[in-house]
Amino acid sequence: MKAYRVAYLGSDGDAAIALENALKTLNFPFMRETGDPSGVQKAVEFQPDIVLWDIENSMPDETFPLEVLRKAGFERQPLVAVVKSGDVEGAVHSLAGGAVDFIYKPIREDPLPRMLAALNVGQKQLRLEWSNRVIEDTNDQVKGVLGNLADPAYIVSPEYQILWMNRAAEEIFGEGQRGGACHHVFYDRTEPCEVCQKSKGSARWRAMLKNGKSYRFISAVVRNGRGEVEKLAVGTDITPDEEVQKIHKTFISNVSHDLRTPLAAIDQYVNILLEGLAGELTEEQRSYVDVIGRSSFRLHNLVENLIDANKILSGDFKLRMEVVSIQDILDVVVHLLQSQAEDRGLAFQVQVADDLPPVYADKARVAQVVANIAGNSIKFTEQGMMQIRAGFMPRDEGRVIVSVEDTGIGVPKEDLGKIFELFYRVEKDKVYVEEGAGLGLSISREIVRAHGGTLWAESMEGMGSAFHFALPIYTGGQGQGAPAGQ
Amino acid sequence: MGEGQKLILVADDDKDLVTALSIRLRAAGYGVVGAHDGEEAFAVAQEHRPDLIILDVRMPAGGGFSSIDKIKHSLNTRNIPVIFLTAFDDEEMREEARRLGAAGFFRKPFDDAEFMGAIQSVLSRA
Repeated sequence: MKAYRVAYLGSDGDAAIALENALKTLNFPFMRETGDPSGVQKAVEFQPDIVLWDIENSMPDETFPLEVLRKAGFERQPLVAVVKSGDVEGAVHSLAGGAVDFIYKPIREDPLPRMLAALNVGQKQLRLEWSNRVIEDTNDQVKGVLGNLADPAYIVSPEYQILWMNRAAEEIFGEGQRGGACHHVFYDRTEPCEVCQKSKGSARWRAMLKNGKSYRFISAVVRNGRGEVEKLAVGTDITPDEEVQKIHKTFISNVSHDLRTPLAAIDQYVNILLEGLAGELTEEQRSYVDVIGRSSFRLHNLVENLIDANKILSGDFKLRMEVVSIQDILDVVVHLLQSQAEDRGLAFQVQVADDLPPVYADKARVAQVVANIAGNSIKFTEQGMMQIRAGFMPRDEGRVIVSVEDTGIGVPKEDLGKIFELFYRVEKDKVYVEEGAGLGLSISREIVRAHGGTLWAESMEGMGSAFHFALPIYTGGQGQGAPAGQ
Repeated sequence: MGEGQKLILVADDDKDLVTALSIRLRAAGYGVVGAHDGEEAFAVAQEHRPDLIILDVRMPAGGGFSSIDKIKHSLNTRNIPVIFLTAFDDEEMREEARRLGAAGFFRKPFDDAEFMGAIQSVLSRA
């Protein structure tokens, strides 16, 4: 067995002799010194494996001198308290202060088992102390970085108590707020905010602070050196983004107003001419005025699509949700699609599975998706057929799937992944002959996504395409709201 | 103005549109007076007490909303139905129009048949 070196720091001669005798039989080197600094220093030079600290070295109310002994040179040794027999309080305080164990004096039992146990516990304690020191160092570094951030950052306890704020946060909320409840100091609330009540861990939220600016916050859980969980939150000033958004919204609103206004006048004058209110038109004149009317209609559609795309792609649109059947949604558009398909000489079919449950959706918006993808199908199909099918999603009865299939030119493989991108148009080999801004599929995908669904496409070039979208069925569950009319 | 002929006030700062609507409404058998801003709209409404007012929302000198407010608060004109016409696409605006007692709300460019139909139906109710 390894000969462990043991040092006793204390003035109790009896205890020292008893220890020395017990350890001699094991050939453990032993030394005794007083607990004053010079004694401690000598003991450090002895390089013991275990240090026995007689608590009579300290004043009665003093805590166990863990830090003092560590700094003096016992950097990793387990420290064992030597306590007067029956001094339970002394033993408890020593353990609380960092001693790994205690032994009673006078020493009657063999001290070896307790010392070996102390060596073992000491190793664990060392590891813990080390990792806590690393955490403390890291936390200090983090605080150092966050301290100089231009945006607010703070740390709160699980009890919503402000433990630390950086300078930017102090500038907003004032100094000396540590210890206060975060919801009170930050937002003048009496109860913790919803985001903290909901999430104990990391979270994201937006808030307007007392300086009138808007911030996006992210929070994460951190552990302090004592192993306690704290929440660190860092804000980013998004006021400029919001201002840009507001300007953008006003700009779009004004531009669309100014684009629509002349269209209304054009339509009226076209009607005046066509109705003969400005005199009868010749056939030729009438055909030209027709062109003006159709062009105005196309321009109008384009303007509306652009405005719509802008709204949808910037997330600035609201769905009017209701419980609605797929059949009702299809009824909105099927009539128009059928006449379009027939004009092109295409066979047109609609098949809706029996007993298909309703979905919770914005009827007009989903109809817009169908009109869009079916309109594309008709546009890109020279001959053959186009069909719309609705049924259950295979292997997932929680979703219905609507498919639009055609026998058209198809989408080249390399384009299939890109067709949902904004302004993307397949123009290979001048196949693209129709008008369009490349907005429809992007808009459609966003609409389907906003319903919690998915939209995807498959195609064989020259054979046809199939576009599918799946929507969750109405379950009456949370987040789906009550059926319309209730 | 012939006996029993209904009079419509068209108020819009787009003079071309006022002219066009005047031509078409006259052709449809209505009498038409025009205005090009909010104040003029109110003044013309007071003077002529039309059977229907078509109001643009955004006009100089008080838009359609402040005009309808004045029109609906004047004993002289409070019962005249108002149809709004605007190039704005704003749900809140539509709500506001409804709240202010509008009989209709059309967005430019509007469906002509629907628009003419609404005028006819509002006038037949009045």
